Amino acid sequence: MTTAPHEQLSDHARLPDAEPVPRVRGRARTDPPWWFALPAVLLFAFVVLVPSVRGVYYAFTDWDGLDPHFSFVGLDNFSELFRDPDATQAIRHTLLIAVSITVVQNALGLLLALGVNSAVKSRNLLRVLLFAPAVITPIVTAYLWRNLLGPDGAVNSLLGAVGLDGLRQDWLGSPTVALWSVVGVIVWQFAGYSMVIFLAGLQSVPKEVHEAASIDGAGPVRRFWSVTRPLLAPALTINLMLSIIGGIKLFDQVYALTGGGPGHATDTLSTLIYKDAFTLGEFGYSIALAVVLTIIVAVVSTGQYAVLSRNERATS
Amino acid sequence: MKTRALPLLIAAATSMAVLAACSGGTKAGSGGGSGGSKTLTLASIDQGSVEDVVKAFEKANPGVKVRYTTSGADQYQQQIRTQLSSGTAPDVMSVWPGNGNPGATYVLARPGYLRDLSDRHWAARMPEAIKSVAQYEGKTYTAVFGQNGIGAVYNEQALAKAGLTPPDTWTKLLDFCRAAKAKGTPAFALGNQDNWVTQLVQYALVATTVYGDDRDFDEKMQAGQATFAKSPWLTALDKYVTMERTGCFQKDPLGTNYEASQGLAATGRTLGIIQGNWVIALLEAKNPKGRFTLRALPATDDPSKTLIPAAAGAGYGVNAKAKNEELALKFVDFVMSPEGMNLFVKKQGGLPSLSDTGFVANPSLAELSGYIEAGRTVPFMDQLWPNAKVQQTMLSGLQEIFSDQSTPKKLLAEMDADYRAGS
Repeated sequence: MTTAPHEQLSDHARLPDAEPVPRVRGRARTDPPWWFALPAVLLFAFVVLVPSVRGVYYAFTDWDGLDPHFSFVGLDNFSELFRDPDATQAIRHTLLIAVSITVVQNALGLLLALGVNSAVKSRNLLRVLLFAPAVITPIVTAYLWRNLLGPDGAVNSLLGAVGLDGLRQDWLGSPTVALWSVVGVIVWQFAGYSMVIFLAGLQSVPKEVHEAASIDGAGPVRRFWSVTRPLLAPALTINLMLSIIGGIKLFDQVYALTGGGPGHATDTLSTLIYKDAFTLGEFGYSIALAVVLTIIVAVVSTGQYAVLSRNERATS
Repeated sequence: MKTRALPLLIAAATSMAVLAACSGGTKAGSGGGSGGSKTLTLASIDQGSVEDVVKAFEKANPGVKVRYTTSGADQYQQQIRTQLSSGTAPDVMSVWPGNGNPGATYVLARPGYLRDLSDRHWAARMPEAIKSVAQYEGKTYTAVFGQNGIGAVYNEQALAKAGLTPPDTWTKLLDFCRAAKAKGTPAFALGNQDNWVTQLVQYALVATTVYGDDRDFDEKMQAGQATFAKSPWLTALDKYVTMERTGCFQKDPLGTNYEASQGLAATGRTLGIIQGNWVIALLEAKNPKGRFTLRALPATDDPSKTLIPAAAGAGYGVNAKAKNEELALKFVDFVMSPEGMNLFVKKQGGLPSLSDTGFVANPSLAELSGYIEAGRTVPFMDQLWPNAKVQQTMLSGLQEIFSDQSTPKKLLAEMDADYRAGS
């Protein structure tokens, strides 16, 4: 998540009116030597890559996380995954949540960004307030919402107070509503995050271009569509990438809000991995699930990036 | 460029090797951890009570230092398994009785992680019901110090205000629920959002409906002569659903968590809560002026047949590779001594596992004590199940029944399938 601002900066640097980088000591500007990256790559390899790859081996075993004696079971865990209704349901929920979050959070983020980018009086205060939920630990906001969304919680009380009793719900206890409550909580928390990235994009749009378009007779909608939208493409790419990856990997908010319940109505791949490993002691199987999760993240994010970067090139 | 790159590469590689070595060293240090022979390492789930026991143990053994950690059950099960399989577990650790959860006696004793404690003086004195879940293949591995029971915990003030008395038959129970509902105060709080809570009412009903006429039901299940689906488990589950439909519980139990359910019962917004005796201390904390009493939950119309699920609580086991075995044994002996045992159960609000400790039970638990003395108890059902999956299936399934996603018959068939999958 923290990489976003840096990527944003590099996008700024590519804007047409960016200053050319001055030459250093008369030498042509070149990329730094490859071995500058070596310590970081080695650290990454030792801490992340090697353990991860070694861990994948266990996906092909029946290891219970405890017993040093276990056997190699080939692809059994993977074929079991497709027969396990809990797993297929969790994959469905994961994708549903990821897509919903990506769409709603970014639509809302963009609207908020457009709002606070205008000349409203208290825009600085609004920016801070809207971004504030994003800096709170997800587990804290989840527990907060767990209470707000209870049968006698603030949300139902508020609905009752304004005469909307018909809309009172068992927000986290009803299998048809719970998943959307989870999505709502995440959107509430991270819409401000998307907003900030869009806002940075918006502020890099040169005023002159807007003024020129106005003189040419373009209204606000036309100006947004033909001027702002193309220049926001890099911000959109970053936002969509971050929210889809975050959505697919989602764990803490779901676990704290509903624990995957009622029943399995809000189980995602991540909550299922946790339960299979640590509650049921089926480590081999849960690592197989984790491998599938990794593949889904890789495929979806690569595909999305390919589409979005083509879109960026087309609009720039 | 290349000549300059080489030394840097070597430097980087060396620093990585050093880094790796350092981290390995730290891990071994913190895990083994004891150093001198006067330090004992301990991992416990008894947050809030183990502290006093450790203090008393250190006082009784001058110069001894206990380094302990406490954590919640979920986190603990995850941590202890990782520590055991990597050889970094503490000398003494919390262990659950029987089978059926990842930190249970059978699960940890089977691969040889626990030391045999059969030679301790208390091992032979544990009551049979507890022995059966503290032992694995005839050897004692877990020092079980307390027992707990599940029943209806009533808020005495709320009962008096409603002018109702606790029911002792199934028919009276449903009448009680209707009367309570009519007065605007539902009979029982139910926090089914936390899925472990879902099982408690079911266990309280199963105790009488299943074991009332058939004390050997577990043996029959183990021998493959019985199934959940074709046993009175179905009757019990139907009764649970009947209770929900009769309005025995507050609105939206699936949206209510354990914490919120305690609040309802403690403050008299319900007349009680169906829970384990451990909830009494929590209710008293929420309402210090309240008086709470645990009673058996009736499931038939013959009060003499009512049984209470009462079982060994989590105890302590000794690491088979304990760094300080002598001190570890001393500690579990202390836990099983009248002093240690009473300290634990007093703080936890339970009852001691051995009978001759001179413990004076909390009056709230008088009925539970009576049932235990009269042998009218059955172990928590999951303690003798072959794997953890049966229970997890039941917990999710009960939530699904409450949200109309499943039916009692379907759930019991799934539990049978998981049971048959074995250990």
